[in-house]
Amino acid sequence: MKPPTFDYVRPASVAEAIDALAAHPDSKVLAGGQSLIPMMNMRLARPTALVDIGRLDELAGIEANGSLRVGATARQSTVLENEQVGRRWPLITAALVHVGHPATRARGTFGGSIAHGEPASELPAVMLACDARFLLRGGSGEREVAADDFFVGHYTTVLADDELLVQVEVPDPAGSAWGFGEIVRRHGDYALAGAAVRLAVDGDGTVEEARVALFGVSGRPIRATAAEEHLLGTRLGDERAAAEAGRAALSGTEVTDDSFVSATYRHDAAAAVVERALLEAALRRRGTN
Amino acid sequence: MTLESTATDPAATSAASSATTPQQPRPARYVGRPVQRVEDPRLLSGQGRYIDDVALPGMLHAAFVRSPHAHARIVGIDATEALAVEGVVAVYTGKDLDWLAPMVSAGPMREGVLAQSRSPLAVEVARHVGDPVAVVLARSPYLAEDGRDLVDVEWEPLTPVLDPFAALHPDSPLVDEALGTNNISHLEQSAGDVDTAFAEADHVTRIRFHSGRSTAAPIECRGVVAEYEDRAGGRFNVYSSTQMPHLLRMLIAPVLGVSQGQLSVKAPDVGGAFGLKCTVFPEDIVVPAVARMSGRPVKWIEDRWEDLAAGVHSKDMHCSMEIAATADGTMTAFRGHFVTDSGAYSSIPFTPLVDSQVAGVYLSSCYGVQNVAYSIDNPLTNKCQIGAVRGVGWVPGQLAREVAIDQLARSLGKDPVELRLQNMIGPEVYTTPFGQTYDGGSYAAALEKARDAVDYPAFRQRQAQARADGRYLGVGFSPFVEPTGWGTASAAAGGLPNGFFDTASVTVEPDGSVTVTTGLHSHGQGHETTLAQVTADELGVAMDSVRIVFGDTDSSVFGMGTYASRSAVLGFGSIQESAVQVRDRLVRLAAAMLEADDADIELVDGVAAVKGVPGKTVPLQQIALFGYFGGPARPEDVQRDGLTATSGYNPGETYANGCAAAVVEVDVRTGLVSIEQLAAVEDCGVVLNPIIVKGQVAGALANGIGVALLEDLAYEDNGEFVSGSLMHYLYPSTTEVPDLTLHSIETPSAVSVGGVKGVGEAGTISAPAAIVNAVMDALSPFGIVIEKTPMTPEYIRGLVRAAEAAATGPARS
Ligand SMILES: Cc1cc2nc3c(=O)[nH]c(=O)nc-3n(C[C@H](O)[C@H](O)[C@H](O)COP(=O)(O)OP(=O)(O)OC[C@H]3O[C@@H](n4cnc5c(N)ncnc54)[C@H](O)[C@@H]3O)c2cc1C
Repeated sequence: MKPPTFDYVRPASVAEAIDALAAHPDSKVLAGGQSLIPMMNMRLARPTALVDIGRLDELAGIEANGSLRVGATARQSTVLENEQVGRRWPLITAALVHVGHPATRARGTFGGSIAHGEPASELPAVMLACDARFLLRGGSGEREVAADDFFVGHYTTVLADDELLVQVEVPDPAGSAWGFGEIVRRHGDYALAGAAVRLAVDGDGTVEEARVALFGVSGRPIRATAAEEHLLGTRLGDERAAAEAGRAALSGTEVTDDSFVSATYRHDAAAAVVERALLEAALRRRGTN
Repeated sequence: MTLESTATDPAATSAASSATTPQQPRPARYVGRPVQRVEDPRLLSGQGRYIDDVALPGMLHAAFVRSPHAHARIVGIDATEALAVEGVVAVYTGKDLDWLAPMVSAGPMREGVLAQSRSPLAVEVARHVGDPVAVVLARSPYLAEDGRDLVDVEWEPLTPVLDPFAALHPDSPLVDEALGTNNISHLEQSAGDVDTAFAEADHVTRIRFHSGRSTAAPIECRGVVAEYEDRAGGRFNVYSSTQMPHLLRMLIAPVLGVSQGQLSVKAPDVGGAFGLKCTVFPEDIVVPAVARMSGRPVKWIEDRWEDLAAGVHSKDMHCSMEIAATADGTMTAFRGHFVTDSGAYSSIPFTPLVDSQVAGVYLSSCYGVQNVAYSIDNPLTNKCQIGAVRGVGWVPGQLAREVAIDQLARSLGKDPVELRLQNMIGPEVYTTPFGQTYDGGSYAAALEKARDAVDYPAFRQRQAQARADGRYLGVGFSPFVEPTGWGTASAAAGGLPNGFFDTASVTVEPDGSVTVTTGLHSHGQGHETTLAQVTADELGVAMDSVRIVFGDTDSSVFGMGTYASRSAVLGFGSIQESAVQVRDRLVRLAAAMLEADDADIELVDGVAAVKGVPGKTVPLQQIALFGYFGGPARPEDVQRDGLTATSGYNPGETYANGCAAAVVEVDVRTGLVSIEQLAAVEDCGVVLNPIIVKGQVAGALANGIGVALLEDLAYEDNGEFVSGSLMHYLYPSTTEVPDLTLHSIETPSAVSVGGVKGVGEAGTISAPAAIVNAVMDALSPFGIVIEKTPMTPEYIRGLVRAAEAAATGPARS
């Protein structure tokens, strides 16, 4: 439970951080440390140096003009408490309540949760459901990547070694219906299966666009495209359509089968959470309209 | 949390206790009152001093090299690279420790249990993942781990023995060749005529149940700091996060080759133990041994992986349980077979029989069944050792019996509460078929109270309605008897024929302050409060003048430590025996000072007064000063012995009882169980302090929720251990424990001093069976039979899926 030796660098700017990453081969970005430090203590990660971006104010902002822009090191708790986010991007707020615990959210960063690439994390799937875009900056400049293209596999993303996730941009979901659900054995644990859904509906409640994102079921957060197709043209809240979408959610997916939870269970659990998230989306909409 | 308390009829109470307890009624100024815990300000403000706070000059830090294999031969150990690390000072292997005597399990005088001998570092064969094989000493814990990673062990993997039933097979590979068998104990015991009862039964219910593998996982892991001093022929100071300083000293001194006088054990504040820290571990030997060899103090602080992989595991038991009954529901016989998946080593001192045997020997519990039989097997397997953890084998025993009783109720179409009441013993002193003598209890009353707490008839209506809506609610009950206050008599009644010896010393200092020393140990229980309450009442002094000293074999009188819900009973008894003597001297001193008759002196709140003579008083401070230095005017025994007395106490058998009731909802789509209500009725005799009793009951219930739903130490089919962090070994947090409904009943013990009984394990014993029964009740429309804990969502969902498939499968179409 004690990490091996490493160097520690605290850059004063994003540019310095990128230089430091390039200067130290096998270094790692340190943000909130809520995933990285435990991995180092267990000697599962052995970076030679940590580049601590945790105190870079330029990365900590939250802006909500039209779209939502969250700096990578904004703390999860700060985003959770943000009143604008709660009102206009309630799916994010609803999901954040399930990300760890008050203590871990006070340090854990919004960007860290995404960059970490843990397949059972809530935020990555929420980013898929929200059609978010990520701003990355590294030695070879700046680029923008859609959430759909960002996650590669277990703890791997398209981030290069000397690249930082700088900002997350989430479009205004105005008018769309949303639902969120997860199966956990204890509140605040990583999910055995979870779903974040967002649906655009027309005036009489017909689904025009569906984004169904799943976490905890595969090597990375995924879009349940078969379920999404099922939903198009159905009426929001149609129980049969929701059940069908649930059943279809994992078709064509390579489902995680590990020592703790079987693929069979994840199939059943994913079907249930997707169906329930869809019905919840309809209920909520009826409640607010 | 609601707490409601009922005392049994006080007239009946005092009659019951005075019939067997000779002492005068006490002026109960503190006992029974919700006195705030006096240790809390210190502990909650960060002033606790735990094992990791111990720092000795020149101290080195230890890291253990442990087996990654379930079973492997150690071909060679090469420490060259580790020793090359700057700051690594030494590496020792099992061979370097050949000067130690072996650690031998099985208490003295224990028949029917094979004694197993082990070296604290494995020399030839490692027997489970986490088994220590070498130790690295370095200037810092970081460097010690760097060195550990570089110790090169050449392994030759051997076939692991993982299935306890396969381990019992004569052809099985052996976990420990020296024993010639894997089964370290097969015992059978029977009372009445069990075979006839089964032959003549109208109905027989049979179940199998596998109680899962869990452990204590205290917030503070274990730790040992040791130094060796070259004085007086050499002596060890061993700081250890232990529950039993004197017993630890007694058990490790011979292995280290010194007398008990040459070894002191000091337990600082202990951050949770739950029974885990009443085992003697290899590290308790290795750390002092290498302190001696290196000539430097050595510190080892266990990490969470070590705690989970190589501490003690508990409750992994395969049970089969049979009940014979007549058509009207009278249970006529119980028969159980309990196989403990014992792990690689027989734990010291309690052995895995602390699970298997106690499941059997208390099988009749609160039921009047007269024909009872059990057998136990204890196969060694290549897993972590099984040892004592809160609730021990009572938990699987309770699960097996109470799940079977619900099954019987379903088969007979009877109500599970009524069936239990029909078969329950009365409240009076009762001797079980296996010879335990209960000291009176509220067996039926506790069940009735639990039933009322969940509003049973209304619940059944609600349940029917919910089912119509496709929701599955269930209720389960689990009345229990908890053997407490372990001393010689109760241990013998439980099958452990070892002697126990406990003392307390009470001293009134020259200024009237009071110092009590005890061989018990507090690691959360609040002894600094409860034992001070008892002392203050017994002496007639103010509680804040009393200090309770424990935890150091150099400053505390001998005692066996704290575990097995023993300290309320042992503490009260031993303190009272001592305090009575001191009080008697104080009264005679006061009488002399006030020129009154001994019989007329009243000692209250630290002031002696003469009955009926207002204003004629003398404060304790003056009495004490007079007692120490008052010359020939003092009674002779006071001139000789002063104001201190030490007494032992070895109580008769005490048994707490109570009942848990759980209301759950099962989500059949996901297999998740949510506990809507958990009610518990506790009868631990005379309550010393309701705040502390409530804390014990609540904590134990939470533990029981963990056993029922969450906690599982899992091994893969190749013996790999996969539950080595708190991400995978799940215990309940506040979000998994519902608001508890707590009730209490007070049936004073007919035998113990003060009428007290223990309370430490109740909820852990009762809650799991209540929750399992509730889940099975919820799923009764599916005809589902639950056969194991923890009831993971995957397990429950799997059962529902199978039931649904059977219902819609080809057989029906
Ligand atoms: C007890 C506990 C429970 C938890 N439960 C959950 C849960 O239920 N759901 C959940 O989603 N998470 C959970 N977490 C993880 C937590 O949310 C972490 O905060 C999060 O995963 C990582 O964020 P961080 O800021 O702490 O990143 P760090 O731990 O500092 O870094 C994590 C990884 O991301 C990289 N990284 C971080 N920021 C950047 C960046 N801006 N650019 C490039 N790379 C970067 C780091 O190099 C590292 O590889 C839990 C953690 C704990 C300790």
